[in-house]
Amino acid sequence: MRVRAFLAIVLCKLLRFVSRLLHRGGTAMPGRWAQRICPGLLGILSRDVKVVVITGTNGKTTSARMIEQAFADEGKDYFANRSGANLLSGITTEFVMNSTLSGRCRKEYAVIECDEAASVSVFPLLKPRVIVVTNLFRDQLDRYGEVTHTLANVRTGIQGAPEATLCLNADCSLTASLADDLPNKHVFFGIEPGACPSGEKSELSDAPHCIRCKTEYQYDFITYGHLGAFRCPSCGYCRPAADYAVTDVTEQSAEGSVIVLNAHGKSCLAQVNLPALYNVYNAAGAVAAVTEMGLGTEAGIRAIEHFKCGFGRMENFALGKAGAKMMLVKNPAGCNQVLDFLCQIKKPFALVVCLNDRGADGTDVSWIYDAAFEKLVDCASYLGQLAVSGDRAADMAVRLKYAGVAPKALHIERDYEKLVSWIDAQEVPVFIIPTYTAMLELREAVIRKVGGDEFWV
Amino acid sequence: MKLKICHLYPDVLNLYGDGGNIRCLTRRLQWRGMEAELVKMPIGSHESLAGVDLVFIGGGQDFEQQVLLEDLHRGRDEELRAAIEDGVTVLAVCGGYQMLGAYYETYDGQRCDFIGALDLYTVGARKRMIGNYMFRCDDALGGMTVVGFENHSGRTRLGSGVQPLGTVLAGFGNNGEDKTEGAHYKNVFGTYSHGPMLPKNPDFADLLLRTALERRCGSAELAPLDDALERMAHAEMCARLERERA
Repeated sequence: MRVRAFLAIVLCKLLRFVSRLLHRGGTAMPGRWAQRICPGLLGILSRDVKVVVITGTNGKTTSARMIEQAFADEGKDYFANRSGANLLSGITTEFVMNSTLSGRCRKEYAVIECDEAASVSVFPLLKPRVIVVTNLFRDQLDRYGEVTHTLANVRTGIQGAPEATLCLNADCSLTASLADDLPNKHVFFGIEPGACPSGEKSELSDAPHCIRCKTEYQYDFITYGHLGAFRCPSCGYCRPAADYAVTDVTEQSAEGSVIVLNAHGKSCLAQVNLPALYNVYNAAGAVAAVTEMGLGTEAGIRAIEHFKCGFGRMENFALGKAGAKMMLVKNPAGCNQVLDFLCQIKKPFALVVCLNDRGADGTDVSWIYDAAFEKLVDCASYLGQLAVSGDRAADMAVRLKYAGVAPKALHIERDYEKLVSWIDAQEVPVFIIPTYTAMLELREAVIRKVGGDEFWV
Repeated sequence: MKLKICHLYPDVLNLYGDGGNIRCLTRRLQWRGMEAELVKMPIGSHESLAGVDLVFIGGGQDFEQQVLLEDLHRGRDEELRAAIEDGVTVLAVCGGYQMLGAYYETYDGQRCDFIGALDLYTVGARKRMIGNYMFRCDDALGGMTVVGFENHSGRTRLGSGVQPLGTVLAGFGNNGEDKTEGAHYKNVFGTYSHGPMLPKNPDFADLLLRTALERRCGSAELAPLDDALERMAHAEMCARLERERA
């Protein structure tokens, strides 16, 4: 075993070194080979590390950046898988790169985001102290299958880590149900009914029926999607009380939100460094995780006020006369939140939508019809130029046409260099909403023009 | 001129962008100066199908199937069968398509009875059939090529009472074996092309509208529309699938 582990570590480090020489990320591939030589290597390397792992459909990266900030602020010796490589292979690479050749990890803590489908194989090896589940939405059916399958995956993963404290989204009926039948200690975070104006019940809920008895839920309050104060009129399953509760969202702007957070009965005012309601959830979950990791609630609250967002997540670039903001979208729930954000701006803006259909994006682009692009018609008076790009630009153009956006206002530009020049020529702020691989490519083109970090930095 | 369009079970059969089909039918009527009246009939709805010209049934998750079957067997099944025999235009996609058949048998042999409106049945397989695909419709329907995305583990076999909707050009279709895709019976069009198939297949969308209008008014002339974007999306996927096949 020792020899295998040693060989795997040497190979992994070597492959990473060569990757970087070739100006590649080398984030997942080295770990995949290491894993092949020594299955279970991750378990050996993470033995003495205190790990907090973040999983769920949306908000993994942002939550991880918030949590990581608290570790940095507190001067803790930690590392994180910042590159987005969040499968077993990528997480293994990250651990190897932070370990000695003898297989001893040099850091005391690790902040790890983990793909929800990979949690089955990752959690039992990592044995995390804390597991955050942000939420569960329908996502990339071609890859994950139904959302209840994803839920079952996460549950099986947690069964391999019975010592972990679970930080669960109280407002997500799917996520909250993880507290059932699992021996783990758990805490809930959420947004209290009345903390902000209630959203409307969506016809396209990802979880309309009770996970326990299949009766249709009733809602007293909705934040967005299927999140809110759900209750089943038949079996009584309902939103649990939140230990980390946002009791008031006092301010929401394009720069961020101001919230009142009640943690275990103690209230305080906090600022969230990123706009939109979904980041309020990420913030509440991050404070819960930081507290449960033993760093204290204050450290969590400081972190959400000044953390650096992940690449492509509301990331700002010095392009055009008024700047550009990139907002990654991966599924209808996330996309709707971004569209809501655009509708709130109430100032002239230009928009770029980049749709790819590669493995990491989901090969099925049907989901764009579940996202409410019709909202763009509501803010048509502010929406100026509109460009579509990516491998499936034509499908995106058709989607926008059927949403009611006049086809003449659509500019199809597949060449990223030209697209960046187009963005740079805009007089008003430009919002760019790309899918994952489109984000990576377009971001590279942007960086070639205006500078910035490579995605693995 | 007005068509009454029914979205059947929009609350559970809405797996992936199915609403795009309704939006497409509605828009294409409106762009031609016609009207569309949309009626949604979720689970528990007692609204009758009487007067409906076009029924759309989407695909759904396994999780809700039991809830759905209970509702179907409370009389909706009989009503659907009658409407189909009466020549109402129906587009049924993926799970909705399977549901019109006789039954679904799971991989381990459990049988679940469906409504038996179409002479076909479906057997579950272990390997899912996932990906972009394309098929050519029967000549009688206009012989147009349709591009879509399929994601199903059920393998559907057609009986002699129905015609295939088309022939698979790339991908799996009904079962990945006999090259058939979907089913056509009277004015029912069943297909595995899940999600929003109509926006990027404007000829097929117009076939449905024409079928429904002919039944309502005896004849139907559909004015041509500017489908440049739709045809671009369609042609790009055709070209890609051709390339992959080569």
